[in-house]
Formats: sequence, structure tokens, C-alpha cells
Amino acid sequence: MRKPPINMISRDAIKAWQITAILYEAIVWILTIVGIVLHFVIDFPLWIVAIVFAVSIVSTYITAFLIPKLRWRRWRYEVFEQEIYIQHGILVVSRTLIPMIRVQHVETKQGPILKKYDLASVSISTAATTHEIPALSNEIASELRDKISTLAKVDEDDV
Amino acid sequence: MSEPSRLHPATVIFNLVKGIKDSFFLFVIAFVSLINLHILYAILMIVVLVLIIAIASFVSWQRFTYHVEGDELKLEYGVFIRKKRYISKNRVQSIDLTQNLLHRIFKLVKVEIETAGTGAEAEASLNAVTLMQGKALRTELKTLGEVEQLEENHEEKHPARTITRKRLIITGATSGSIGVILAIAGAVSSELSRFIPSDFYDNAYSWVVGLGIIILVMMIIGVFILLWVLGIVGTIIKYWNFTIEKVEEDIVITCGLLEKKHITIPMKRIQAVGYVESLIRQPLGYATVIAEIAGGSNQKGEDFSTVLFPIMKKSEIDNFLTELLPNYTVNQTDFTKLPKRSAKYYLFRTVVPSLVLLIAALYFLPQLTWIPVAILGLSILLGLLQVKDSGYALEDNKLTIRYRNFNKVTMVMNHKRIQAFNKKQHILHRKEKLATIKLSIVGKMGLGKHYHVKELDLEAANKMADWYSYRGV
Repeated sequence: MRKPPINMISRDAIKAWQITAILYEAIVWILTIVGIVLHFVIDFPLWIVAIVFAVSIVSTYITAFLIPKLRWRRWRYEVFEQEIYIQHGILVVSRTLIPMIRVQHVETKQGPILKKYDLASVSISTAATTHEIPALSNEIASELRDKISTLAKVDEDDV
Repeated sequence: MSEPSRLHPATVIFNLVKGIKDSFFLFVIAFVSLINLHILYAILMIVVLVLIIAIASFVSWQRFTYHVEGDELKLEYGVFIRKKRYISKNRVQSIDLTQNLLHRIFKLVKVEIETAGTGAEAEASLNAVTLMQGKALRTELKTLGEVEQLEENHEEKHPARTITRKRLIITGATSGSIGVILAIAGAVSSELSRFIPSDFYDNAYSWVVGLGIIILVMMIIGVFILLWVLGIVGTIIKYWNFTIEKVEEDIVITCGLLEKKHITIPMKRIQAVGYVESLIRQPLGYATVIAEIAGGSNQKGEDFSTVLFPIMKKSEIDNFLTELLPNYTVNQTDFTKLPKRSAKYYLFRTVVPSLVLLIAALYFLPQLTWIPVAILGLSILLGLLQVKDSGYALEDNKLTIRYRNFNKVTMVMNHKRIQAFNKKQHILHRKEKLATIKLSIVGKMGLGKHYHVKELDLEAANKMADWYSYRGV
């Protein structure tokens, strides 16, 4: 487990994550706008508006620009014949080993944002856990799903 | 048992009783709303409701059949929607036979068959069959092959353990609730004396009030003692004559005074075995032996794990496991502890919440500061105990881990039962070469159960990863 896994996820993941983050950030921006309007209409205290505005800027920068890049840089996976090896995390680096014989099923998923960039995520379930590799190109994701599904042969005596 | 058979007719009565109990509110509402009209209407309404429930329980009894065919248990049930449920023998996790008082009058038994599936309910639940049928069903569904069954006639002595009366009482007396009770009783009694000003006893009137407070304190203490005794009685009823036996490839547990339980667990289905030393039992040298079994329903707020033996001297555990579960003996010798540098993380986690409490107390209730100060002291102690106790041992295909939240837990799991291995490091961990590991196995209700050992030496975590990995080093 000393070396990190070698495969990276699609670079478009950053864009997809950015869009998701911006959609969430829209909430604080709407609050900011409401605050500004209220300030002019009913003389809502300016300092509160200023704080909301500052929070909007900082959180947008962090969630939409900083985190997706860092997250993408860290995300690695590797599929061996006997096991799957996943690494992710920004501050906390997490590395997971999933033996092939423990895999119960694999599936690929694609939401509207992932679809825009022709991406898909692969989720791998064991009897106890579920692991997701986000944002692979659609083709690789399907390939990976089929590969894992053929390699995964659940033990006779499992569970 | 290839012919589909019904449950015992007494099921109708059981269902009726249960139906009335469940719709008790409906009865109350119907009765109250009609009593103003005329008492007869109200009684008529009740009769009608009972009749409806009676008919429903009769029909559902009539529609419920079960039989074993080949390798499967087949259930057919449902009144409006016919349902068929087939459960493969190979997937059966445990077979429980339970008898409550009603069952015992009719010499019946409730059979619950569990698989690893998700959900709080047992996959197959036969409310009432005769004891004979119940036992026959159990032998049929047991996973062992037919050749082995023939050998059962030899009547060889199976390894078994039964709880003694004395131990049973100790179990009750040291059950979790006592600690909480003692703490509350201590806090309340010392607090109350502070609320009584010293000049209170100056005149007769106040003396009576003072007496009242003393009586109040006595009563509170009395209530706690009563709760404690009730706890003991409850434990005695629950674990009465607790016996664990190894029959061929199954673990059979029987216990209970009013409600007799009979649980059969195929050994193959056990995911992990270990023991818990609670804060009260640890100083007395006692521990509870538990097992993690996949699936199963979560009954009555049990703390998720299956109890293999309610109480046992720590020194007896080795012997017990060697005899009953030789695959799960605890490796005590090669235990690797945590490095000293991980202590600060443990202390940080336990101390910070109590520090917050202390600051809050200083601000809001300065006269009660001693409580958070005491909690702070205890949390430092807890943190130190947590580091001291945590560790792991690797041996062939077996991994033993030990950790403490409040209670000290030692778990043994086999390589092939671990579903996934996870290693986590944050920035400070990376600098100090520490890592937290997470082991996932299948737990109750088909959910994952995760065990963490925090802040292991990085070397150790890597060693465990290599042990777990199928790629080799």
C-alpha cells in the first residue's frame, strides 16, 4: 500500500465539480443580493450585507476553485486482478483496498452534469461498504464496470 | 416436510391479541366517540372491531403456509396480495426459537429465520408451531450435510458453558445503567446539600422543610436503588440459565426465564468475535463475549452485537474460545501498542469537548465549575486509557484489534471476513508517520460494521495493508 494508485480520473471532473459547487454557491449569492436590495429598501444594516458578501466570495473561491482542483489531483484508482485500490481526500488522505472476491456488484451512474462532459461514476459495493470512483470518461467507466464485474467472483461462503 | 403446512391454530389467537394491542387507540377513539350516543353503540362498535381483527387473523393464518423443499424454505402468505418467499438454506444466518408465556401454555414455539438481508425484521417468522415441528425445521435448515447428521446419534459431549447463578447476579449488578445511576445519585445528593442554606435549621418550620429535603434525597436514592435492583432482575430474567453449546458446525444459545430463547448460529456465518470490558466490569476482571453476525434483526435496542456469553472472567476467555470457536482465539502475546506520539491526538479528542463545557460553565454557572473540572479530569484519564489500550496483533489469517471508546473492546476477525480495508492520514499524521485504519465487516441488519484503530504507527498500518492485500508486498 506504499505507492499510490496510478490511474487518475478525468480532468473534466474539475469542471463538473465546479458547476455543482457554483449551483450550491448560488444560494449565498442570492442571499447577498437580497441583502443589498433590503439595504436600499428598508435600510437593512450594511455590515451584515458586507459579511454575507465576504462569505460568498471566500466560499465560492474555496468550493468552486480550490477544492475541485485539489480533489482531482488526489483522486487515484487502480484495478488489479485481485483487488481494487482507491485513494482520495484533500486534507485527510484515504486509501482503500477492496478485494475482488468481496465485491457484490458494480454500477455506473451519470447525472445531468456528468453527462454534459460525457462522464460517469462507478460505484463498487461489497456486503458492508460502497465505494465510488467519480467522474471517469463514459467509455472508461463502462469498461471498468465490465472488468470488475468479470473479475469479481464472490466466495461460496461469503456472508 | 414437503407438504405445505400451516402454523398452529393458536396463531389465530396470537394474531388477535396482537391486533387488538396494535389498534388499541382505534378502540379508545371508537369507544369515546360513540359513548355519548348510547353505550350499546359503543359496545357494538367494539364487538365489530374485534370481529374484523378476528377474521383478519383467521384468514392470514389460513393463507400462511410453509414447507421445506430441496434446499429451500418456501413461505406463501398474504391475503389480498399473494406473496411467495423462498429462502435458500445456504443463506440462513441464524435460526431462533422463542417461547413466551402464551407459547408455553400451548407447548408452542416461535421460529425466526434470519439471512444477511437488510431490514429490522426477520426474513421468515413463523409465529407459532409445535415444539416438535420447530425443532424438526431447525434440523432441516441447518447447513450441515446429511452425512454429518448421522453421526449425531453418537451423543458425544458437545463443548458447552452455562452461566452460574452468582455470575448472573454480577451481570445484572454491573450492567451499564449502574454507572449512570451512581453518577447522577452522587451529583444530585451533593448538589442538594448546597441548596440548603446553613441557617435553614434555625427554627422549627425550616427544620420540617429541611427534613422534607432529606426525605426527598432519601427517596431519590431509593428510586436509584430500585432501578438498580430492577436492572438486576431484568438481567436475571433475560439471561436465566444462559447456555452456549457447540453442536457440530453450529453455535446454539439458550436462555430466558419467562421468554425462552433458542438461537442457532451456523459457525460459518460468524463475522467477528471479541469481548467487551465495560468500565464497571473491567476493574472486577469481567468481560462480555460477543460476536458479530451478518444480518439479523435488531431486537429491543440490543447494542447490535450478539452476546455469546454475558459475563466471564477475562482469564477464562482463552479457554472458552479455544473450546467453542478455535478460529477466533485472541492473540495476547504479539500485541503491538500505539506509539507514544499518538497520545496527543487521543487526548485532544477527549479533552476538547470537556474544555468547551468548562468554558461554558465558567461563563454561565460559575458556582458549579467543579463539575466540568471533574469531567475534564476524567476525560484526560479516558484519553490516556484509550491510547494505552489500543493496538493490534496479526497472526496468519487472523487480525486482533483492540480499542476503547468508553468500554475496552477486543475483536478478532478473519482475513476473509473483512470486506474492505481503509487507511487514512491527515496532514499532521503524515508529518508524524501515523495513520488511522478502518476495517469493514458485515454487521446487523445487513449494514456494514466498521472498526477503527486510530493513530497507529504508519509502519504498522502498512504492515496490515500488506497483510490484507491480495497482491502481496
